[in-house]
Amino acid sequence: MKELKTNSSPFVNFNQKISFLFDGKKIFGFKGDTIASALLRNNINLVGRSFKYHRPRGIYTCGIEEPNALVQIISEYSEPNTRATIKKIYEGMEVESQNRWPSLDNDIGSINSLFSPLFSAGFYYKTFMGPHKSFWKKIYEPIIRRAAGLGKPPKEFKALSSHLHHNVDIVIVGAGLNGLLAAKSLINTNHDILLVDFDNHLGGIINNSAKILSIDNQSPKEWVKSTVEAIEKSKNIKILKNTLVTTYNYINHLIAVEDKHVGSRPSENKVNNILHKMRTNHVILCNGHIERFLSFQNNDLPGIMLASSFEKYICRYGTLPSKEPVIFSNNSNSNSLIYSIINQGYKPKAYIDSRSGENIEPELFDLIRKHDIPLYTNSQIKGVSGRKRIEKILIEDSTGGLSEIHSDFLCVSGGINPDVHLFTQSKGLLDWDEKDLTYKPSKPFQPTITLGSASGQFNLEKVSDEINEKLKIFKNKVLDTQIVLNTKESYQIEKLWEISPHKSSMWSKSFIDLQNDVTTKDIRQAISEGFDRIEHLKRYTTNSMGTDQGKISSINALGIVSDLLDKKVNEVGTTIYRPPYAPLSFAAIAGRNSYEFYDPERKSPIHQWHKDNGAIFEDVGQWKRPWYFPLNSSESMHDAVQRESKNVREFAGVLDGSTLGKIEIKGKDALSFMNLIYTNSFSKMKPGSARYALMLGEDGMVKDDGIISKISEEHFIATTTTGGAATVLGCMEEYAQTEWPNLNVYMNSITEQFATFNISGPKTREIMNKVFPEIDFSNDAFPFMTFQFHNYQGMQIRILRASFTGEMGYEIYIPSKNAAKIWDQLHSFGKDFGLIPYGTETMHLLRAEKGYIIIGQDTDGSITPIDLGLNWTIGKTKQDFLGKRSLTRTDTIRTDRKQLVGITPSNKEDHLTEGQHIILNQIIKTPTPMLGHITSSYQSPTLGHSFGLAVIKDGHSLIGTKAFASTPDQKTIPIEIVKPVFYDEENKRLVS
Amino acid sequence: MLIIECPYCGRRDQSEFSNGGEAHVKRPDGSSEISDREWSEYVFVRSNTKGIFYERWVHSHGCRKWFNCVRDTSTDEILKTYRIDDTRPKLKDFKNLVDTPSGEPELGSGNFTVKK
Ligand SMILES: [Zn+2]
Repeated sequence: MKELKTNSSPFVNFNQKISFLFDGKKIFGFKGDTIASALLRNNINLVGRSFKYHRPRGIYTCGIEEPNALVQIISEYSEPNTRATIKKIYEGMEVESQNRWPSLDNDIGSINSLFSPLFSAGFYYKTFMGPHKSFWKKIYEPIIRRAAGLGKPPKEFKALSSHLHHNVDIVIVGAGLNGLLAAKSLINTNHDILLVDFDNHLGGIINNSAKILSIDNQSPKEWVKSTVEAIEKSKNIKILKNTLVTTYNYINHLIAVEDKHVGSRPSENKVNNILHKMRTNHVILCNGHIERFLSFQNNDLPGIMLASSFEKYICRYGTLPSKEPVIFSNNSNSNSLIYSIINQGYKPKAYIDSRSGENIEPELFDLIRKHDIPLYTNSQIKGVSGRKRIEKILIEDSTGGLSEIHSDFLCVSGGINPDVHLFTQSKGLLDWDEKDLTYKPSKPFQPTITLGSASGQFNLEKVSDEINEKLKIFKNKVLDTQIVLNTKESYQIEKLWEISPHKSSMWSKSFIDLQNDVTTKDIRQAISEGFDRIEHLKRYTTNSMGTDQGKISSINALGIVSDLLDKKVNEVGTTIYRPPYAPLSFAAIAGRNSYEFYDPERKSPIHQWHKDNGAIFEDVGQWKRPWYFPLNSSESMHDAVQRESKNVREFAGVLDGSTLGKIEIKGKDALSFMNLIYTNSFSKMKPGSARYALMLGEDGMVKDDGIISKISEEHFIATTTTGGAATVLGCMEEYAQTEWPNLNVYMNSITEQFATFNISGPKTREIMNKVFPEIDFSNDAFPFMTFQFHNYQGMQIRILRASFTGEMGYEIYIPSKNAAKIWDQLHSFGKDFGLIPYGTETMHLLRAEKGYIIIGQDTDGSITPIDLGLNWTIGKTKQDFLGKRSLTRTDTIRTDRKQLVGITPSNKEDHLTEGQHIILNQIIKTPTPMLGHITSSYQSPTLGHSFGLAVIKDGHSLIGTKAFASTPDQKTIPIEIVKPVFYDEENKRLVS
Repeated sequence: MLIIECPYCGRRDQSEFSNGGEAHVKRPDGSSEISDREWSEYVFVRSNTKGIFYERWVHSHGCRKWFNCVRDTSTDEILKTYRIDDTRPKLKDFKNLVDTPSGEPELGSGNFTVKK
């Protein structure tokens, strides 16, 4: 094994060696390393293949801005697109490179490079256009899907995440020099504060560079230590480490993700991610800056890295990626890198600066001369070349002369940008700074304060003045922090976006977006094709549309466009940075709302009995309801439903109706209230009787139905549909509070307090007599649509004589905890009379034979009671009820509205299917006018043929005529339109 | 994402509430004779205000009380919440406290940086 590159860093434990797998190969690093720093220690720089052209790519940065080094973490449910530059390693971690086949070294897709004209700007739009539709589907799509892309989506994941809410006064984002100082000045003030940083070591630039020599006469690291301790001791500031703020919403609402397993394998039984939802009065953004790159020929080759990232690897991770890199810069921010390399006992192979000599800091000159570093001023890199990493660098000097340097490492700096992503997410406005050549925050839209380089204030010596000024509103402690810098510099930059190549070649490219493989040529092409507005250009070229949102390159694109269009950058504008700042795992967003917690399951009190008796369940809203009860595994659903239906008609059956909504209404004005909510009039109803009732919307359309039991003028119980229970209760509460607050009425859901068993069939009375021998079930004592309260084994039960099947029947309401007892009694006594349990499908069949509607199946929000032929439910003499006035609107009194009818096939062996259209022509010639459609249809064992309910135009007057039902294969079935009652039209069985 | 002050429970997260559309829309008394037009205005027509808007909310995952609210629809800022039987606050009691972020700029949609 080769020796690992190390130097001192307090953030890496060089005594603890860690091994992990990269593409199956065992790699060693140290505790505290990221994947990237460990790979660099091992001199590995090729880490992936690019998105479109499959070009070899290396580690470009040392942070979250990384465009290239995205990897798949196999050992963490195959999490894709993980930034190797931030992911900390642990023993046994499995990492794979992405977008390569068969291997990173020999990638077949790199042949895409040769077809690059195919992948130029607007490629997707152009291929969508032709030459023929099938071309895209059959040829392009399969090829592109295989060739282009990032990581593979994971096949499974466990969402071991949770959500945490915070309500604070101030959130400080970023705990670098400015964040720590801001927090320090607010220690033990009257504000509740969260200090949030993405790193596990606070300090930011203090840890990442050699820029600062001392703070308040302490070494920078000692200062960080004592400051963090003071903050931790404070009463009012909480520090969140490893927490990335991804989103800045309206009304100072921030979303951040905390990684709870940094540097260790995710736990199987503990939370690995926390999604923090923060609400705050003020946000202080101290999230620093991002360095940008430069566009030149082959600026994507492995071995090229941002200058500040190179320095961060030295200072933060204790590894020197190269002993003698070449440095290319157009600004003063990279000066400290030269110090850092010299501190390690090495020196850059050459320093190339596009600025002329007089613009370069005299100190830098002295340093370069003292160490005899080859210096090129007023010079540029025309391009680099090499196979899988850079080998040669071509330099153009001030006179236009060309020279070549052999080097395998190049550090690039194109200037720095305030990290404005969060600020613009908050809708703050930016302004272009002509001197510093970057967009800076100008006008906040929310109570947002920016500090330090995040605000575009790049002078480290002035940070405490800025904090004193901007945090005055919090009555903070005035700071007088003395900062001594290693490099006396105030930020200075010269304009440079792109260097044109000396010679062009098929393979050579100048990239403007490394992640999405967009070249500067694509930008030119887009503009020449007319896409010269920045938002259009972005979408046409896909520039800055990758998961990194062009963090190191989007400003360069604006610069290039402004030059091409000969406009100021401020006139070109910028695209919007959207949340999230960096990708966050779906597991974190889902939190606990996954698997069995995603949507609660509601179960009837006797659910276990259904399970034990082989019920097949159907989901009705959140409820699990028995659908049918197959006799054995070979009985099909059709057979089971036919058998159950016949059995109910001939003997008896019992349905678990516990899921039906039940609402109790009480109060002095309960009667008036019920009269206003439902269409029916309850005034003349005797206490102890019940009535089928409809509830309308204000538009006059049927919204729900149910049976209303009148216990007294001041006490009602209403049932609702299973799915409509919450809506009906909500509607009652709304009208009681907002429209009729003068009514003294209260309502409450009692759905889960009572189980409901619906028993019906000709043998019902005999069974009921056995179960409840003390109750008189004769017609005189217990007529249809009445109910009685009884005491049964010490509990109060309510029995309602009603039926949804057309057979005589009762609904038994029992307190849930005792429900199983009665259910068992019904079966033990009912066995001899042929009682069976039946499910919802049989219930649907039986009620359809009887012509009873199901809300939401036979109605769809555009059907009035009149359309249903249920005029009798409307209390004609009532002055008002929900939707009353709508029933006389010109639209609702039209006679050609869709109305409920029954249909039977003219040939009894034909089968009708729900959803089939009803038409008048036997031969379908499109367009064929449609009368309506079949809403319910079943094969009836009682009738011996198929039948259905349908809503068709002018249906009531078409009863007795013939029509056709169309089938998907353009055939027609002759049908007869009939009254929507197929069974016991005279209700003889119902009241028997 | 809002913090809403329920007049009965206090400040709570928006996720506890449901919006109920425009407030102070009087339901015509069913007993009075009104035209189709008047009735349909009540049933179907609501204003779509940009700026200060009176609207109803219900604390559906809380006390289940309905209340009224004054919200600036262009900024989502909630200016006042009050009980259903409280008198309606006057428009002039409020002014836009923050500038609206809309107001389309000349170049590109939502291109705030170039907004003058
Ligand atoms: Zn409340």
